[in-house]
Amino acid sequence: MAPNMPPQPPLQHSTTAVADGQSHGHTAPPKGILRWLLTTNHKEIGSLYLIFSLTMFFIGGIFALVVRAELFQPGLQLVEPEFFNQMTTMHGLIMVFAAVMPAFTGLANWMIPLQIGAPDMALPRLNNFSFWLLPVAFTLLLSTLFMPGGGPNFGWTFYAPLSTTYAPPSTTFFILALHIAGISSILGAINIIATILNMRAPGMRLMDMPLFVWTWLITAFLLIAVMPVLAGVITMMLMDINFGTSFFDAAGGGDPVLFQHLFWFFGHPEVYIMILPAFGIVSAIIPTFARKPLFGYASMVYATAAIALLSFLVWAHHMFVVGLPLVAELFFMYSTMLIAVPTGVKVFNWVTTLFRGSISFESPMLFALAFVVLFTIGGFSGLMLAIAPADFQYHDTYFVVAHFHYVLVPGAIFAIMAGVYYWLPKWTGHYPNERLAQWHFWFSIIGVNLTFFPMHFAGLAGMPRRIPDYALQFADFNLLSSIGAFFFGASQLLFVLVVILCVRGGKKAPAKAWEGAVDLEWTVPSPAPLHTFETPPVFHRTSH
Amino acid sequence: MRSRWRWLMAISLAASGAQAQANGWNMPVGVTDVSSDIYGLHMTIFWICVVIGVVVFGAMFYSLFRYRHSKGAKAAHFHEHTSVEVLWTAIPILILVGMAVPATATLKNMYDSSDAELDVMITGQQWRWRYEYLGEDVAFTSNMSTPRTQISGEEARGEHYLLEVDEPLVLPINRKVRFLMTSDDVIHSWWVPDLAVKQDTIPGFINENWVKINEPGIYRGQCAELCGIDHGFMPVVVHAVEEEEFENWLADRKEAAEQEAMGVDREWEMDELVERGESVYQSICSSCHQAEGQGAPPAFPALANNEQLISDVDWHLDKVINGVSGAAMPAFRSTLNPVELAAVVTYSRNAWGNDTGDVVQPSEVAELIAQ
Amino acid sequence: MWSVVKSVLAALLGVQSNQKREEDFSSGKPAAYLVTGVVITLLFVLLLIFLAMFAAR
Repeated sequence: MAPNMPPQPPLQHSTTAVADGQSHGHTAPPKGILRWLLTTNHKEIGSLYLIFSLTMFFIGGIFALVVRAELFQPGLQLVEPEFFNQMTTMHGLIMVFAAVMPAFTGLANWMIPLQIGAPDMALPRLNNFSFWLLPVAFTLLLSTLFMPGGGPNFGWTFYAPLSTTYAPPSTTFFILALHIAGISSILGAINIIATILNMRAPGMRLMDMPLFVWTWLITAFLLIAVMPVLAGVITMMLMDINFGTSFFDAAGGGDPVLFQHLFWFFGHPEVYIMILPAFGIVSAIIPTFARKPLFGYASMVYATAAIALLSFLVWAHHMFVVGLPLVAELFFMYSTMLIAVPTGVKVFNWVTTLFRGSISFESPMLFALAFVVLFTIGGFSGLMLAIAPADFQYHDTYFVVAHFHYVLVPGAIFAIMAGVYYWLPKWTGHYPNERLAQWHFWFSIIGVNLTFFPMHFAGLAGMPRRIPDYALQFADFNLLSSIGAFFFGASQLLFVLVVILCVRGGKKAPAKAWEGAVDLEWTVPSPAPLHTFETPPVFHRTSH
Repeated sequence: MRSRWRWLMAISLAASGAQAQANGWNMPVGVTDVSSDIYGLHMTIFWICVVIGVVVFGAMFYSLFRYRHSKGAKAAHFHEHTSVEVLWTAIPILILVGMAVPATATLKNMYDSSDAELDVMITGQQWRWRYEYLGEDVAFTSNMSTPRTQISGEEARGEHYLLEVDEPLVLPINRKVRFLMTSDDVIHSWWVPDLAVKQDTIPGFINENWVKINEPGIYRGQCAELCGIDHGFMPVVVHAVEEEEFENWLADRKEAAEQEAMGVDREWEMDELVERGESVYQSICSSCHQAEGQGAPPAFPALANNEQLISDVDWHLDKVINGVSGAAMPAFRSTLNPVELAAVVTYSRNAWGNDTGDVVQPSEVAELIAQ
Repeated sequence: MWSVVKSVLAALLGVQSNQKREEDFSSGKPAAYLVTGVVITLLFVLLLIFLAMFAAR
């Protein structure tokens, strides 16, 4: 962790310092499917992660549309409550663990070596392994839907004892799937930390790194800290279900609330795992298109670290109505309110970066700006939820659903899309079709707000979450949300179209694809050849 | 302390209260002091967010408009300003402290359930509520009364669709009522927005909450914590009445309970038991074992044509009275009285083709429970 | 020592100037910052607990 890392010892193939990407001292890579199964190249693995994540995004999205279709009007029309519960659960699990997290890991794989001037990730074989664990984990998880008794039906938070004593028989498979996904995350995080700490270009100190690298470094530490807690809690579930222990069963001396403490000690930092890399992406895009350095770079890094630290001190704000002692309620209310401070600092910094810039509105910028506005709205409802007495009314209603979807959809997912549009020229050598991308943006903005904004009202008016049918006074809000959801879902097909078109052709992009871009990835050709930075670049300090 | 910040809430209330509540867009003000305090906090923090939002987004959209590249804007190159940063860190902290003070006061009030005049035990069960007036020998379960035909759409939906029950919780106004809350199976959450009471009911643990209702009326809510298949069909209805009316109601219920207790000792006819049993079955058992006893395997076994059930009356009684450990079947020994237990067992031994002809007398069941 | 504490406090609030950061990263020992960070975090937790206990009385 010394501020000035010594130059790296030459890596095995830096002796053949040729940039054409073919003659790098190895035998030719295997062809066809084996090439993808065995690849250790960070760019190929990054692409695998992104394709996997996009596939899962659509599967999780279809589950959400089943839910929204059933909630289109009062009454039970399409699915039984049992299947409805499986859909809400699977939607949450797939979106969190199989769509958002792998998308960020994919972006990390592609961009971290390029942004720090490293030839590849530090542990390429581990990298391959951590990716290929994911299809295994989620095939297993999805297969539970076809098992007798159905798949997980207890919500993505799987509170005991609904998820233990009262769970369907497939729960053991669910636990195994989550274990595998967890191992994948931990290995990925180790790899990212090793890469960032050891493989930066000579002259690049920690405080010279782009913010995406910084936020990922902190995220990786969060992952290593909390994924074992998740592994622990699901192992305790496994024991309760199969080996007669009573960790979460009061009849045997256990405590169902213990489950929630453990789960949220993992779960709250997990929320930040899904948003910190998004902060990094937005902090790269806004300065690029405002043609002005990021305001308060040091503050941004420090605020990220502060948010990460505070995330371990707030978990019980998810549990304000479980009957915590008064002192605990107050402690968690205060600590949660304090998180607003470093988060606010970030938003102020982005806005000030825009101030007196020279701003243009290409598609990555549009998504990044939408991120700032809509994530802030999600932050406002988060501040409201932090007020413990008011949370007695908000808790477990659609107000909460609206809150976390504002943070995750126009938050995390818009940031991912902004990142994809931003870096597609680097990946493919072509600019994405700007006209289609702009359509995609405007459709997404309308869809996302139409879907999630009415949920605030439904929740305040008294609609609990996770119900398959609802009282008549919630009908209008649900109608709007369902229309918005289908609109949003359909407009994501446009995203796939843009990506496919961009891979196949389009306007040629130069090495520095965006006028205001400054980081190291813009010094290699577009498309980036399979092997880059085989000779470490010399890093010149810019005006971070 | 309280009076000092109440004016703030009063302003919020006046600014945005009654109208928003009437059209169902906003949190209800409710009918207790606590609920209107919470409403005040909610509106205060909401307006704080609105003001911050206007300032931040105003600055943002101004910059976006004013400094367009297409209009030839030249970028400045400043990238930090320590005093501005300190300022925008300090102001939010002050706002938060200002918000934490009234929130703390309200929370302390909500946690003070001392000096209650009436204790009601609320027990969550999949998927109904059981209410017990402690020390009064009055207890009953409260099931959703919306017919399944309305849910499936075969029948027009009523005004209180999904928010109506067979027996509401009856409470007196102007009296501090303490709730003791627990669960027989999974975690539920008892919620009535107008009372601002939402509390998880946790198996094996007892939570406390309290309410002092200011106005008579019917207040509706529902289970807020996912508790299985029928989570959406577990409404709460509270009937708040004048104190005198409450006393009369309580006396009537006590008398009815005594008569029921006397019924245990007499000999019952099969038809009587079957009739009583059918209503118990439909309100308690049918949510899992289904209306025709067909069950929903593997979680909920069928009762119709169940070999073991038909052949072994003792086994059947044991499962109903003591439950099945490690499975979803709860013990009904304390939830149902001996008459109801005998009736429901007799009914299910003689319905849906289970023509055993067995009659189980309440007195036999009472003996089994006593053992 | 005081400058280390100041830097860590700045980090907790998310406010720091580039010049000060340059100093930290060129002259400071990382271990000192890590230890100070952990200690201040613990103090912060204790402060919040104390505050909550005080408010709950």
